[in-house]
Amino acid sequence: MFKHLFKLMWNKRKHNFLFLSEILVSFMVIFAISSFLIYYFQNYSKERGLDYEKVWSVSYDESYKTKNSDSLTMYYENLKNVIKALPEVEEVSFSSNNIPYANSISTTSITFKGKSFDGINQYLVGEGYKKVWNMNLEEGRWFTKEDEVAKDRPIVINETLKRDLFGDQSAVGKSTADYEGNKKLKIIGVVQDFKANGDFQPSGRAMFWKVDTAAFRWLNSLLIKVGPKADAAFESRLYKLISNTMKNSSIEITHVSELRISKNEATVMPMIIFSIIAGFLILNVALGLFGVLWYNINKRKGEIGLRRAIGASGSSVSLQLVAESFVLASMSLIVGVFFALQFPLLGVYNVPSAVYLTAILLSVGFIYVLVILCALYPGKQAAAILPAVALHEE
Amino acid sequence: MFKNYFKIAIAVLKRRKFFTFISLFGISFTLTVLMVATAFVNKVVSSDYPDLKRDRCLYVNRVEMRNTKEGWYNQSSPSYYLAEHYISTLKVPQKISISSFSRRTNAYVNDKKIFIEYQFTNADYWTVGDFIFLEGKPYTQQQISNAERVAVISESTKKAYFGDVPVAVGKYIEADNVSYRVIGVVKGVSKTMQVYYADLYLPYTVSKTDYKRKSLMGDYKVILLAGTKADVSRMKQEFNAMIAKVPIDNKQYDKMYIHADGAFEDLCRRMVGDGLNSGVFKLVSLVGLVVFLFLLLPTINLVNINITRIMERSSEIGVRKAFGASSRTLVYQFIVENLILTFIGGGIGLIFSILVIYQINALELIPNLDLRLNVSVLLYSLLACLFFGLLSGVYPAWRMSRLNVVRALKS
Repeated sequence: MFKHLFKLMWNKRKHNFLFLSEILVSFMVIFAISSFLIYYFQNYSKERGLDYEKVWSVSYDESYKTKNSDSLTMYYENLKNVIKALPEVEEVSFSSNNIPYANSISTTSITFKGKSFDGINQYLVGEGYKKVWNMNLEEGRWFTKEDEVAKDRPIVINETLKRDLFGDQSAVGKSTADYEGNKKLKIIGVVQDFKANGDFQPSGRAMFWKVDTAAFRWLNSLLIKVGPKADAAFESRLYKLISNTMKNSSIEITHVSELRISKNEATVMPMIIFSIIAGFLILNVALGLFGVLWYNINKRKGEIGLRRAIGASGSSVSLQLVAESFVLASMSLIVGVFFALQFPLLGVYNVPSAVYLTAILLSVGFIYVLVILCALYPGKQAAAILPAVALHEE
Repeated sequence: MFKNYFKIAIAVLKRRKFFTFISLFGISFTLTVLMVATAFVNKVVSSDYPDLKRDRCLYVNRVEMRNTKEGWYNQSSPSYYLAEHYISTLKVPQKISISSFSRRTNAYVNDKKIFIEYQFTNADYWTVGDFIFLEGKPYTQQQISNAERVAVISESTKKAYFGDVPVAVGKYIEADNVSYRVIGVVKGVSKTMQVYYADLYLPYTVSKTDYKRKSLMGDYKVILLAGTKADVSRMKQEFNAMIAKVPIDNKQYDKMYIHADGAFEDLCRRMVGDGLNSGVFKLVSLVGLVVFLFLLLPTINLVNINITRIMERSSEIGVRKAFGASSRTLVYQFIVENLILTFIGGGIGLIFSILVIYQINALELIPNLDLRLNVSVLLYSLLACLFFGLLSGVYPAWRMSRLNVVRALKS
């Protein structure tokens, strides 16, 4: 039956051209939106990997000017110790300014077995960093004081980078080289992935260096994990304390939980706007399809009446009309799926293929449901056509 | 004749209410989105408080250095040194406004934290920008030279910091651990107005960072104001001639790009351009593409419905043709009918967009953003209606005009 219907529709392809292109474009819109939604949902359902509550970030600009790196280190270590000594503070760590949820990104690449791995988020961190974020260690250990004098610079990597480099094998104790392939880097630990770009973005590859004396010249962030007793009054006191220590610097204290909200909003808000617009577009299309199908059935009264007169049942007439729309939708979808399949095949935007494939399935299902829903009522109306009346008009 | 078309159009609209509803729904929704987007773009692109002299201004926002051999490049904003030592020597500009990019800090009032964005400015900043002072006045050159700790604050900062007091001038505001005497309160600037948006304005001489540092790259921005519109191009020439002579202060790089751009060019350069290319073409074509893709679906839908409606009227068309109406007349008639439909949809869309814009303003998603449907937005919307009406009317009208008289009459 479908072969026959397909032939019928194929012969009328020129007549149905607009109908076909409308379904095609709708499919593309649904595919785009659902790809995004599935991608974000997949990321959202992964573990966060860090604890952002009660973490404050302090940013400052270059304040202490000296050529002597020993006194520079002393100055900053002293600042850290003063803050850590406060009863409300649980842990303090220096950090490069690409702290989780901030709008700053710093990436690098490494060379492993002659191959370059790029797009690695690099974090320059202090010893307390792991405790500040309550990060989970998968294997090996975190940085200690002794790492400063190690011959090969020690690094900690995250799960994703470990999997890319070593697969299922253990990474601890192995070495890799920096982006130029010159300096040896020794992996001392692997931490669980953490979603630094908000709950809806993937963690990506990440790698941690320990802060060294040279870094103090340009570092400008301090992370503080505070206890339950830390309130606004404490924050105001802390602010005074830091500004009085760093006389020439501008200070800003931000709660990481606020950064997280705005980071998540940056993903969610455009999605909401696009989804609303797409929703209206689809509603628009659905109404349009409904109208056109309805009209077509009215025009084919004669044909339908004839079929009824020679014995076709009402339900088989309405089934034919629904099946016709189904075939029409399939013709568009074949073209649409062909284009959509290029995304996973070419690996566009580094999104996992599973996301695109699920999105294609979902969109195909959605379009079928939409078209069949729009055809049901006109089909039912066609079934109600009385052969005598229809043939009389003709 | 038009009156007749109008009558016919209304009659046709009344005949098939469901189709009319679908068409109007599609048109009004599409135009609502377009109008809101236009209102937003218009807000960003056109002259607005306090940047009212836009057509006489040139903006200097970035310094880009390139190593043409290795392909490295480094991009930042001008330093105070560049603005003061080089740009200030220009003869054509009437006024030169120099201000830092907004930085953020905290202020604490009664153990409540307020985020404050602040800018350091020179005295000309207040004459180049047309600020509305609700209280007090800006700081003078004398006060700047004396490095007095005085501040101009925005309306919202006054409310957040001092609460509902009648007068803030003369009070002290403590931000970034320094106390400043408030000497003026200005009406809030929209966040979309990046050049002027801040909560706190301070004289550049009280800056904690070393603004005199001899480097071309820094954290400042410059606005050049010409005496008349005619002087703008002369000002640009003078600027380019001066920049060509500035020595590059970093040996790693061999080329330097600093532009004095008009407002629109500046916006494009900031969004998609770089030192070599202003990005005007890129941005305009990008926006065009997005609008086209957005219009595609409603247009196909409307064309589809229009064809259906015309086919319904085939007997009418057949009769008119048989009595000698030319194809052209019929095409005109149909396009006019479609335009009438579009404009009715546009009217409904306008009501919707007023509601949406009211909502956006009420939600305060962007601080101080006050979207308005002004004359130019309405004009653009009218254009959008016309464009949309023609786009969706021409193909069905063409199909109709080719209708065979005999077949049409037979039905």
